[in-house]
Amino acid sequence: MSASSPSVLLERDASLPLIHAGISTRSGADEDPQGLEGLTRIAGRLMRRTAGGKSPDEIDARVDRMGASLGLDAGHGGVALSGVVLERSFADFMSLLEETLAEPGLAMDELERLKRETSAELVEILDSDQQLAQRWFLRSVFEGHPYGRTVIGSEGSLAAISVEDVRRCLAREFRRDSLVFAFAGAVDAERAHRAASAIWQRLPDGGSVPPPPPEPVAAGGRRLVFVDKPERTQTQILIGGIGSHPRDADHFALLLANTVFGGTFTARLTQEVRAKRGWSYGAYSSLGYDRQRQAFSMWTFPKAEDAARCIELELEMLQQWWESGITEEEFVWAQRYLVQSQAFAHDTATKRIGLRLDEMLNDLPAGYHDAFVERIQAVTLEQANAAVRNRISLEHLVVVVLGTHAAIGGEVKKAIPSLASERIVPFDTE
Amino acid sequence: MSSPSATKNAPPSLLTQRLNKGASKDRQVHHLGGYAFGPLLRIERYAMGNGLSILLVEDHAALTVVYHTWFRVGSRHESPGKTGIAHLFEHLMFNETEHLAAGEFDRELEELGAESNASTWLDWTHYDIAVPSSAFERVAELESERMQHLVLREPQVESEKEVVANERRYRVEDDVEGSVGEQLWATAFERHPYRWPTIGWMADIQGFTVEDCQKFYRTYYAPNNATLVLVGDLDPERALAKLQECYGGYRAAAIPEPPLEAEPEQTAERVRALTKLTPTWKLNLGYRSPALGHPDHLPLSVLTEVLFGGRSSRLVKALVRDREMAGDVRGSLSPLRDPGLLEIFVSGREGFRADQLQSAVDVEIDRVLAEPISLDELERAKARIELGLLQGLQTNEGKASTIGFYEVVLGNPAAGFDRLQALSEIRPQPLRDLAVRYLGRNSRTVIRVEPQPGLAPAGDAE
Repeated sequence: MSASSPSVLLERDASLPLIHAGISTRSGADEDPQGLEGLTRIAGRLMRRTAGGKSPDEIDARVDRMGASLGLDAGHGGVALSGVVLERSFADFMSLLEETLAEPGLAMDELERLKRETSAELVEILDSDQQLAQRWFLRSVFEGHPYGRTVIGSEGSLAAISVEDVRRCLAREFRRDSLVFAFAGAVDAERAHRAASAIWQRLPDGGSVPPPPPEPVAAGGRRLVFVDKPERTQTQILIGGIGSHPRDADHFALLLANTVFGGTFTARLTQEVRAKRGWSYGAYSSLGYDRQRQAFSMWTFPKAEDAARCIELELEMLQQWWESGITEEEFVWAQRYLVQSQAFAHDTATKRIGLRLDEMLNDLPAGYHDAFVERIQAVTLEQANAAVRNRISLEHLVVVVLGTHAAIGGEVKKAIPSLASERIVPFDTE
Repeated sequence: MSSPSATKNAPPSLLTQRLNKGASKDRQVHHLGGYAFGPLLRIERYAMGNGLSILLVEDHAALTVVYHTWFRVGSRHESPGKTGIAHLFEHLMFNETEHLAAGEFDRELEELGAESNASTWLDWTHYDIAVPSSAFERVAELESERMQHLVLREPQVESEKEVVANERRYRVEDDVEGSVGEQLWATAFERHPYRWPTIGWMADIQGFTVEDCQKFYRTYYAPNNATLVLVGDLDPERALAKLQECYGGYRAAAIPEPPLEAEPEQTAERVRALTKLTPTWKLNLGYRSPALGHPDHLPLSVLTEVLFGGRSSRLVKALVRDREMAGDVRGSLSPLRDPGLLEIFVSGREGFRADQLQSAVDVEIDRVLAEPISLDELERAKARIELGLLQGLQTNEGKASTIGFYEVVLGNPAAGFDRLQALSEIRPQPLRDLAVRYLGRNSRTVIRVEPQPGLAPAGDAE
């Protein structure tokens, strides 16, 4: 049964004459058909550029005139059309959102232009060593899983996208029951609801949230992917595998253990890699999530000569963390840090609305963020150490190194014990 | 959460009277006035007897406090052969002190739930710590400790030099845009210290000694060379009393003026060609521009917005959208104490060479030299600037950064709002005159980047 009114989240803060407004869907690039990767992103952008059948020039000038910004982000599990506007232009901004969703022109020539622009973005990525390493890391950890697919698309998939594909995609994405409206800033509840309803009423009925993708599975043993780029004085190194999701019973325990391992500036990784050895400007580990578990990853970027030693050290530290866990002293410190620093998770209206959206869009347990402090305080040292052994795999690990293979490839390979496979990919491989 | 509001406190004069009772001269705090900071907040300016400046903003919207320490020292204070020491020093400030072993400073801040960071640029260095307001007093103790009691030893200096060298590899050596930007400033300036990068040249970074660092610390890290900016859930009287306790024992130092040489006027275009491992041609241009305090700076920033701000701006529309020659076009006006650059960066699309990109840029520059901008363009630019300023003030961190930046560069912490007010006076015709004054080809520097042959697709087009 369809809802009778839109789903609206609001965090009011009238201290500045600014309003953040956004409309999110609960399905995204994971729904792109095989061979049409990049469709959701292209469709959303085309809709944004042809609102009300106007030209992109007219729309862009209108956004600037309002004192606003408006963008469209597509992710694996959703699409967000969002921006910020001076309070005095709020009504016009919401009219533009309405025209974007209810009356997109979807002009063919603009679609072709957008495809050319996206192709140019794919070329530009070749300048970013960090993005290239990240791309291969996700591809390798999530091989065969939707999270390993590209959101932006490829030359081949972009070429295959038609206006009809775009129409089908938008018809699937933007239906009444799939949307969440979110507002933060100088807007009251009555005005926010009125603005959301005006848009919602013009959209087709129905819509549903697709099931989440399957749980990703760790496999393949220890794999090295060497992204070969000439003349690198420095490397980009990512090591990791499947992480955790807030639905996991031991999620908070793992979060706490990771805080000790690589979650802050004084964590073990930063101390050993940066402070003691000076090998890398940054050295961190992190846990991501979407609607399913995303990656656990360690990130460092040492100079080429230190790359092999750095990998060796990181793997030793990972093993020691897994086998011996964290100490009582580290546990107490991390618990305090996570509890105290929560003050900055919700100190502005935009952050608070972000947390509420996160909870809704990523299938988090109800009250996840509100109960954060309580849940962290409930974790025990034993639970934290058990979570590391339960969730982090030493057997199935992906090591991605971006560097110059001829210079350091041999040393890097030797630095990884029990290596199951090695793959060398030229940096400009799509 | 409530909206920002100031609690009822004693007036500043009465407050300082109470605080100064029995205090030595160095420790006394004087109220030097206040500034409106937007419609709801107020900056109060205080100075301690030893020269320490304090800017305080009460804002109880969140139970947090941001504690910034701005030093009036940046890479402009360095000399050839010693470039990068201001930035290296910023790293060293997170190390051992007389009362804290190496690593304890950060460890304790994190235990308090703090977010901390630091940055260095041409004119200044600043350290920022954000904490739950209950931890304010301990932060004052930690920050004051490192202002005068830092311990500099060989192992930490050597390790930090290696970290900075790695930062340089990350931001410059292996980053096309970073290395090109560095070359632009090095070519545009011949005498002024703005010609070297804040991170320093690699050979200089690797050559620093403990003695170099100690000398720099003794010279510039003194209370009379610093401004504290405190924003958030504070009780002014308690905060100032704590600052008296923590900083009151420090003595002012004689801060030397940097050995500045005036930059001679540029009379001819300067062009450099580079080859890089990159898939497409790049173009970086720099026109000589006025200092932030110059009356032309604000109108020129409006003109910069007309040309490069957002997708409807002239250059973005022409090069990215209409002619599809570039993937990215950006322009920015440097906000510096001395004259800097209006910088333009263009990343070409496959098949477009730098000379073609430059011709397209010149068409638009020539157009702005020849005819006034429209009223609509002007209003769009003003609205974007207003949006940018307000967006920067959404957090206590943003407020403190805005206040501290304008204070150390212009001596006016509320200058952001003054500039916003002055926007309404700007008209189209004077902007054209301004373009004629600043966008002449003889005052520009051009860096062209060619993709390394054989590694990237690039060729003729059109």
